[in-house]
Amino acid sequence: MTKTEILNLIAHHTREILPGLDSHQFVAADRLVDLGANSVDRAEIAMLVQESLALSVSRVELFGPRNIGELADLFLEKLDAA
Amino acid sequence: MPHKAVVTGVGVISATGQGKDAFAKALLDGKTAFGVMQRPGRQGESSYLGAEIGEIVFSSGIPRQTLRAASLSAQAALVVLQEAWIDARLSDVDPRRIGLIVGGSNVQQRELTQVHETYRDSLEFLRPTYALSFMDSDVCGFCSAHFGIRGLAYTVGGASASGQLAIVQAAQAVLTNQVDVCIALGALMDLSHWECRGLRALGAMGSDRYANEPELACRPFDRDHDGFIFGESCGAVVIESLESSQRRGLEPYAALRGWGITMDGNRNPDPSLEGETQAIQNALDASAWTPAQIDYVNPHGTGSIAGDETELKALHACGLSGAWLNATKSLIGHGLSAAGTVEVIATLLQMQAGRLHPTGNLENPIDPTLNWVKDKSIDHPIETALTLSMGFGGINTALCWQRNN
Repeated sequence: MTKTEILNLIAHHTREILPGLDSHQFVAADRLVDLGANSVDRAEIAMLVQESLALSVSRVELFGPRNIGELADLFLEKLDAA
Repeated sequence: MPHKAVVTGVGVISATGQGKDAFAKALLDGKTAFGVMQRPGRQGESSYLGAEIGEIVFSSGIPRQTLRAASLSAQAALVVLQEAWIDARLSDVDPRRIGLIVGGSNVQQRELTQVHETYRDSLEFLRPTYALSFMDSDVCGFCSAHFGIRGLAYTVGGASASGQLAIVQAAQAVLTNQVDVCIALGALMDLSHWECRGLRALGAMGSDRYANEPELACRPFDRDHDGFIFGESCGAVVIESLESSQRRGLEPYAALRGWGITMDGNRNPDPSLEGETQAIQNALDASAWTPAQIDYVNPHGTGSIAGDETELKALHACGLSGAWLNATKSLIGHGLSAAGTVEVIATLLQMQAGRLHPTGNLENPIDPTLNWVKDKSIDHPIETALTLSMGFGGINTALCWQRNN
């Protein structure tokens, strides 16, 4: 899986949780908090992506990434290590 | 301290209609919507009968994000609160003086069961929001966030009397001046196949005797009754101090004159003549009314053999043999947690219409001496009414209502 594919997956699940972002063009520098996702929304998005990837990442590690590009990097790294 | 609690707004949804006008029309027309229930998670290897709400119509002002995160119980709460909010013009009230009491316990069972079944073998992906939604108080949080309620908000539970308990609790909040306005919500009880199975096993839910004729299954007070038939519903009643309603220039639906709450000292579902009689008597005493002053009784009337019989004996024992009587559950089914609130709304709307709705399937009343409204609605002015609820665990509630003149 490529980083772009993971970014698309994050965008897909973010739109699922925040339907108002239907027409938003996601870029790697986007921060979920700036897009209107509260802490529960962010936890839901991260869990949906993990479920889609069949990958489990600890909550502590998910605090690291500062934008969705870095979040995609984290998931990619975990996938490669799996 | 305020001395009188009145109703200044209502909102309602049932399988036969959304909104007070559609709901009242359906009641007076004797409309029903019983069938084999279809909602995902409500049937196992079974075909339970009931009345389910169709597509809920939301106003355009409700954000899609709000709806996405809402359980069925929360969605129903949202639309009835919205209707009641507009009806009582609550946008004009200081939100710090508005409260919300949600009647019902464990109301979101079907959605929880679906989560359990979905994630049984993949617990590591359980959605974090489960930690919020498994509690009924989530409905309080959800609604207070959407409507900006800043007074108080909490749940009360009393099985099938929960809806009336919420009204009593809301009245107490108003009469003790904690808030000027308090909304009582009878929450939609969202049964899963587990609860249906348990209620059937207990003998409380009607049998499959009418499986091929679902429209005949729900028959409170009829000789062929054999248990209750479930019906989804949700209602909101805005309780306000008379002083506040007068300041705001509102014409109340009715005043809550008095109430009675008693326990039978019995955990089980079987009814108690003594407990029911005492609850009714307490409500009459609190209202300073004689039984002869009651025009209309909206009974609990589920279709339970022992429950129906005991309730009618209690009415006789309290001297209420002369009042008019029908059974709202015969048309919309038993909403469990919601029933008490929704049936108060049915009572207030009948008062307003000066008309009493028919009782479905009441072909041979178990007590033909009473003043039943049978297969056709009738014109009848109602100035005073008594509404009753009883719940598992031996709880009885009785409320006395006086129409605003």
